Amino acid sequence: MMSMATQKKRKMTPREKSEFFWGWLFILPTVIGLLILNIIPIFQTIWQSFFKTGDFGKGNIFIGMANYQKLMQDKAVWQALWNTVKYAIVEVPFSIVIALVLAVFLNRKMRGRSAYRTIFFLPMVAAPAAIAMVWRWLYNSEFGLLNHLIGRKVNWISDPNLAIYSIAVIGIWSIIGYNMVLFLAGLQEVPRDYYEAAAIDGASGIHQFFHITVPLISPTIFFVAVTRVIGAFQVFDLIYMVMDKTNPALAKTQSLVYLFYRYSFTEGNKGYGSAIVVLLLAVIMCITVFQMTAQKKWVHYN
Amino acid sequence: MKAKKLMALALAAVMTFSVTACGKGQDTTQTASQESGTQEAGTEAEEMKGSTEGKLTVAIWDSNQQPGIQEILDDWSAQSGIEAETQVITWNEYWTLLEAGASGGSLPDVFWMHSNQSQRYMENGLLLDLTDKIAASDKIDLNNYYEDIVGLYESEGKQYAIPKDIDTIALWYNKTMFDEAGVEYPNADWTWEDFYEAAKKLTKEDGSQWGYAINTGNNQDSYYNMIYDYGGYVISEDKKTSGYDDPRTIEAMQFVERMLREGLCPDLQTISENGCDVLFQSGKVAMITQGSWMVAGFRDNEYTHDNCDVAVLPMGADGTRVSIYNGLGWAAAANGKNTEAAWSLIEYLGSKEAQLKQAELGVTMSAYKGTSDAWVNSVDCFDLKGHLDMLDATLVIRPYSRNTNVWEDMATETFKSAWTGEMSMEEACKQIAESMNTALAEE
Repeated sequence: MMSMATQKKRKMTPREKSEFFWGWLFILPTVIGLLILNIIPIFQTIWQSFFKTGDFGKGNIFIGMANYQKLMQDKAVWQALWNTVKYAIVEVPFSIVIALVLAVFLNRKMRGRSAYRTIFFLPMVAAPAAIAMVWRWLYNSEFGLLNHLIGRKVNWISDPNLAIYSIAVIGIWSIIGYNMVLFLAGLQEVPRDYYEAAAIDGASGIHQFFHITVPLISPTIFFVAVTRVIGAFQVFDLIYMVMDKTNPALAKTQSLVYLFYRYSFTEGNKGYGSAIVVLLLAVIMCITVFQMTAQKKWVHYN
Repeated sequence: MKAKKLMALALAAVMTFSVTACGKGQDTTQTASQESGTQEAGTEAEEMKGSTEGKLTVAIWDSNQQPGIQEILDDWSAQSGIEAETQVITWNEYWTLLEAGASGGSLPDVFWMHSNQSQRYMENGLLLDLTDKIAASDKIDLNNYYEDIVGLYESEGKQYAIPKDIDTIALWYNKTMFDEAGVEYPNADWTWEDFYEAAKKLTKEDGSQWGYAINTGNNQDSYYNMIYDYGGYVISEDKKTSGYDDPRTIEAMQFVERMLREGLCPDLQTISENGCDVLFQSGKVAMITQGSWMVAGFRDNEYTHDNCDVAVLPMGADGTRVSIYNGLGWAAAANGKNTEAAWSLIEYLGSKEAQLKQAELGVTMSAYKGTSDAWVNSVDCFDLKGHLDMLDATLVIRPYSRNTNVWEDMATETFKSAWTGEMSMEEACKQIAESMNTALAEE
């Protein structure tokens, strides 16, 4: 801090000036994008949550905290929060563990390595809506392939106790490829000598995995964990596409974002929808702050 | 070091992307001004768009009707020299996108209006006022259409849409299954009790076939008809109070409850995963109650084409036969870029010529009186008199209020626990009535 302050007082050299100018110019597209698409809407949403919104964004009436009071008593909101938490608890750890194991295997020299990598990454390239439609038919209780294979009738997506986990499976399946690529990048950074030294000392593969690989790529794991938790809390498209409005499991499956969508867009109550999103924002912030504090205990940067 | 490289790469990617995006934008605008017809490159199917120069966008939600509607639009284009293109967006997304378009000021040029939503759109001045245009037109005379449908799109003495169609609900049945079970085909003398008895005979114990599938996602083609047949109601005339706690409404709903409990209907899980029309089309259920808008879909499905037919709905115990009916309207955006062309298109779509063609093509029954015979003759595999005769029944316009979606969705949600048996139907109805009254008071 001190050094920066003293630097600032000094007159900029032409080179520094040029760097300053070009530096800002280069990040300008991103900054503008963030401002217009993310930051300004966040504040607009918070502002809107204090209003009873009129039709088509006209004639809003300020109602103070009334939306939040309604939210506190709305069982559907708390159920949706719990559904979202359940989804995240299943999706995040599984998608990380599976992707990490895959990455370790696909980091070795083997035949068809890039083919496997491509296959695992493919779901990431497919449109979420298309994925959801395919899985919806796989899960179908009458005609679905899954029930056909196991020869029993399981209501994968319409049993209230099961549906959220079935959705989480789709979530895991679609994200492991992406996580795997991030882990592969992390694994490239781990020097080979550690493994050679460990092998000479007689450490098994599993030992090496837990005592060398995991600690050394913990920064990547941490990054993936933070982004995945945020992503999981924002789950919407899978649920929207897979769960029909008349599905009896919907109440036990709908996420906060789904509920926001329903109130804001189907029922035209944007003020209340905004309040729900603000709740989601608060929850995600708390969890991320917790993760940031906890990382000191387990993430090794050097 | 790696991190820096990555950052550089990402930045480069962003830059190239924005550069190509700019280039693309220029390209499309250029071609658009040169030849308005052929620019497809920038078209995104998911988005509702306003007009590009000289081309009208027409938004609808029913893909079954799309080929026929496009054919009628092409006729208009041949006369007017202006191109018009249909865009199909499914029912749920349609209203979301239309509302977003309305708030953002970019509605499609011409689009379907529905009684669930029309009130809000009219009151907020989003639809083009057609009153004077109709008065000046030699093609449109509102007396030629079914009165109640004209009324759906009128607000404070002004007309905002021209009726497109009229729909009735009828009883679709699977002839093959009836023959196999030795049950007489449904006829005009059936009461709901006869219907129940038939459903019982048509249900197979092993769960491979059911007598009836109720469309839990759409009240108009399912339980609303029974409610009114039993003498109940859904919403009061003044749209202030709910009729769900009326004893006769509850009685009708208990009729449905009985069919579900006895397993004559597939359980809610099966219905919601597949949809009752899919179950019907795949030969899993013997009867469904469906709207006339499904005719094109059932005609084009091989199975229903060969095995199924349609009859009038059963009646209540006292002989009341009600058809919950509705009709869409053709509306235009008030702030559209080319409202003259939009009006010319709507005027054509409302004309006898186009309405007759809509019926002849079997798209839907038309709102223009006297065109329904053409519709009945449009399909040779079904006896569409079943739907047509429902027009002679007691017609009740689909219950609506200013913000219909709010209480309809709430009812759908609450009824779920009644369908699955967690709650008794009586309790569910009373609960719905209470919430619905609150919702109506807030409108």
